[in-house]
Amino acid sequence: MSLARPARGRVGGAVVRFVAAATGRPTIGDPGIGVDVSAWRALAVFRALTLLYAVIVNLADLRQVAHPGWCLATLGVMVAWTGFASYAYTKPAWREGRLLPVADMAVTILTIVATLLVETAARIATGELTVPTVWGAAAPLAWAIRWRLAGGMAGACCIAVANFAVDRGHPTRATVHSLILVFLAGAVIGYVIRLAERAEGVLAEAVRLQAATSERERLSREIHDGVLQVLALLRRRGAELGGDVPELARLATEQEAALRALISSGPPVERVDGLVDLRELLASPSRSPHIHLASPATPVLLPAASAQQLAAAVGEALHNVKHHVGAEADAWILVESTPDNVVVTVRDDGPGIPPERLAAAEAEGRLGVAQSIVGRLRDLGGKALINSAPGEGTEVELHVPR
Amino acid sequence: MSLDEPLRVMVVDDHPMWRDAVARDLEAAGFAVVGTATDGAAAVRIATAVRPDVVVMDLQLPELSGVGATERIVATLPATRVLVLSASGEQTDVLEAVKAGATGYLVKSASVSELVDAVRRTAAGDATFTPGLAGLLLGEYRRLATGGPEPEAGPQLTDRETEVLRLVAKGLTAKQVAARLVLSHRTVQNHVQNAMSKLHVHNRAGLVRYAIEAGLDTDES
Repeated sequence: MSLARPARGRVGGAVVRFVAAATGRPTIGDPGIGVDVSAWRALAVFRALTLLYAVIVNLADLRQVAHPGWCLATLGVMVAWTGFASYAYTKPAWREGRLLPVADMAVTILTIVATLLVETAARIATGELTVPTVWGAAAPLAWAIRWRLAGGMAGACCIAVANFAVDRGHPTRATVHSLILVFLAGAVIGYVIRLAERAEGVLAEAVRLQAATSERERLSREIHDGVLQVLALLRRRGAELGGDVPELARLATEQEAALRALISSGPPVERVDGLVDLRELLASPSRSPHIHLASPATPVLLPAASAQQLAAAVGEALHNVKHHVGAEADAWILVESTPDNVVVTVRDDGPGIPPERLAAAEAEGRLGVAQSIVGRLRDLGGKALINSAPGEGTEVELHVPR
Repeated sequence: MSLDEPLRVMVVDDHPMWRDAVARDLEAAGFAVVGTATDGAAAVRIATAVRPDVVVMDLQLPELSGVGATERIVATLPATRVLVLSASGEQTDVLEAVKAGATGYLVKSASVSELVDAVRRTAAGDATFTPGLAGLLLGEYRRLATGGPEPEAGPQLTDRETEVLRLVAKGLTAKQVAARLVLSHRTVQNHVQNAMSKLHVHNRAGLVRYAIEAGLDTDES
């Protein structure tokens, strides 16, 4: 009876220690270890410490109990099970199965119910502790680690039923109090494990991304130092020789341009704030050796949706150049960024459109692609200007407000 | 440098095949290739010894980067000009090279005759530029005007310079720009050259200021 108070305190302290161990440094420092491995280790420590506590409490109380022999026998089972469980839970195949946690719970329930053999009904009714005391919380905590929140709750229920049986359906205040703590511990551990597991997933993803990025950088260095130099050389020499060589040189030029664009730009990365770098979006159309991109050295940031629309408009303008001027025609893209807006100009050196034809086409409503560009820009709250004069090429200027 | 003597050129590139090809092309065009180097540190050493008229400089170099080598060569050899010959897509590096004092920039995909022409113009102090470089310059001046802590202290483009750079960035040749703006070819050249050298001067002034401040700090402490 007198030991009931300190016992409650011990449960709380052990839980705090347990949570700290389950979510502590080893996991974050070494993502390879895994959250649950740390948690199982912490559970073994919890089991050993609570066993020590149970042994001390019971031995101190040994003269008062009705059947000291049963008490010692129960303690023996607890010692044996603690040893076995600490070993068994280190085996991933065992702890990830059902048998071990269920056996764990069964043994724990047996040791709790054994209190009926050890103590008299009278002493139990006055709030005497069960034989395993807080050691009995290890099994529901194991369930919490194994099956998260639901496991913790179910395990706590099992322990509650065993305790009610010991109290013969009339739980004492001490029992109720301890069970609330077990429920809480089960819930907290289950929840924390799930949370930590999620964090571990995020960390693993970040590590994977970082590895992919550095691998990409390594590849791009290799390609730059080797393949690209040879292709550039082939193009340079090839152009001076006769026969099929100039054609080969032209193919080398195309491959070189494609490879360069490939290594200098990955798929555009959306940043945390939802902005993307327009330059990255425009890098893939500028893979062709006939398309020349001029842009600032620093990122040109736009909301992802606007940037996509703008890039699509640029794509249409480039398609227009190909269609009207020629597949091999050069086109220049200039990206400019001011505090108020982003301006992208697509220019070609083609024959240009006479102003009267432009006006006539507009009047007849058959500007085709140009109209679709204008529409896209209007949707973005911006505008598209088309400047052209015969012999001066055509310029499509796309303005998007920030 | 007298008129009958060939121009003295040095080629810096870490890829031997490419370096030799460029050197061969330049010799065939009548230049004297007085030195080659495969890394930035060697480039600075050799340039100091042979004092070439023009250094044809790659930017991705081991030891010391092409930007670092350019900075040192321009600082120690005022008569030597640097022509950057680099792969496209190295945008930041190209801008840094211009700030470090490079006179011109040409992409490696340029033809042999374009390269020969660029070396000749670089030796004369004329800027060689590409639409891509003009785009970088426009971006950099806008960044300085809006992003910096004291924008009014930074270099600024005149309206005409901005106009010229925009046309160059849109792919117009210097000749086409001259025709469109009714200027001489020479004037167009000068506008781009000014835009480049103002950045270099600003960069150098910043470095000097930084060195003085750092020096003063050590004296006080």
